[in-house]
Amino acid sequence: MSNSKLYKGSLTTIILKLLNEHDKMYGYEITQKVKELTKGELKITEGALYPALHKLEAEGLLDVEVAKVDNRLRKYYKLTETGTKETVNKLEELAEYIKTMQALVNPKLA
Amino acid sequence: MKLTEPQIQDLYAFTRQHFVEHYDLQTELVDHLANDIEEQWQNQPKLSFEDAKNKAFKKFGIFGFMDAIEQKQKAMNKRYRGYLWNELKKWFELPQIIGTIALFLMFYVAFSSKYTAILTMVFYVIISGWCIYKGTQLNRQFRRRKEISNKKWLLEELIFKQASGTSLIFISQMYNVFTIPDKFEINTLFLLLFSLAFTVLTLVNYISLKVIPSKAEKLLNETYPEFSL
Repeated sequence: MSNSKLYKGSLTTIILKLLNEHDKMYGYEITQKVKELTKGELKITEGALYPALHKLEAEGLLDVEVAKVDNRLRKYYKLTETGTKETVNKLEELAEYIKTMQALVNPKLA
Repeated sequence: MKLTEPQIQDLYAFTRQHFVEHYDLQTELVDHLANDIEEQWQNQPKLSFEDAKNKAFKKFGIFGFMDAIEQKQKAMNKRYRGYLWNELKKWFELPQIIGTIALFLMFYVAFSSKYTAILTMVFYVIISGWCIYKGTQLNRQFRRRKEISNKKWLLEELIFKQASGTSLIFISQMYNVFTIPDKFEINTLFLLLFSLAFTVLTLVNYISLKVIPSKAEKLLNETYPEFSL
């Protein structure tokens, strides 16, 4: 995806939405899932993903769990109760944004 | 193809070389790199470990792990402040509030007496002396913990080393402590605020140097599920 700037503001919403559907996920899994769902159109960069995850954790929206997988430790993220509520808000915000953009870009559809 | 144990250890060393000091973040990044490498091997089984590792690392961008380190630091500072705040709040609820009020009254009475200058000095010396003593003791404890576990945890470092940071704020106010009491005669509000400031600072020092370190194991286990693994 060349114009990743457009997606930047939605990174946390994307993460929250994915976790809302998947109970618990680890960092690499999130990058792969996004790639798969958008057929490679959107790639979350590693450099942006972890800072975003740690920020959400500090805000109390995510909780962590650690499990031993193969010969290493894996850190899983899942939504807290506040996180689940925030997901609804964030998705509404995003829908509103898409609607506004739609009205601007394509007035006929809106 | 899966990574071997020595390769995992190599990845840990790799994160350390790239300035990731703390074990929790190292672990997360090691797992990420390992997943990426294993994925690459599925498509190119002949790719060497070193090449695959470098490819995986490049995806983090020109700043490498820097953003992750910085954000983690911020997140953990926030968590630490949260713990401090939670403990401080308790001192304004029953039954501790009785102690807080007593402390406040003691400062108030002392500062409004005619021996203000001397008493300020005495309180100041007692509190900062205790802070320096506790700070050194915690630092020593932290070093001993490191010798045993060989792993560094960010929150542990905050609990044992940064705790003395709050007392530094107190100690650095030396100049004010000497000059402020002169103004008490003219302003009661000032006297109240000064006593309140002394009370809160005493509590914050007590919490960060005594209460939180005594709960270190519990807090570390809560923060890092892998702490006891």
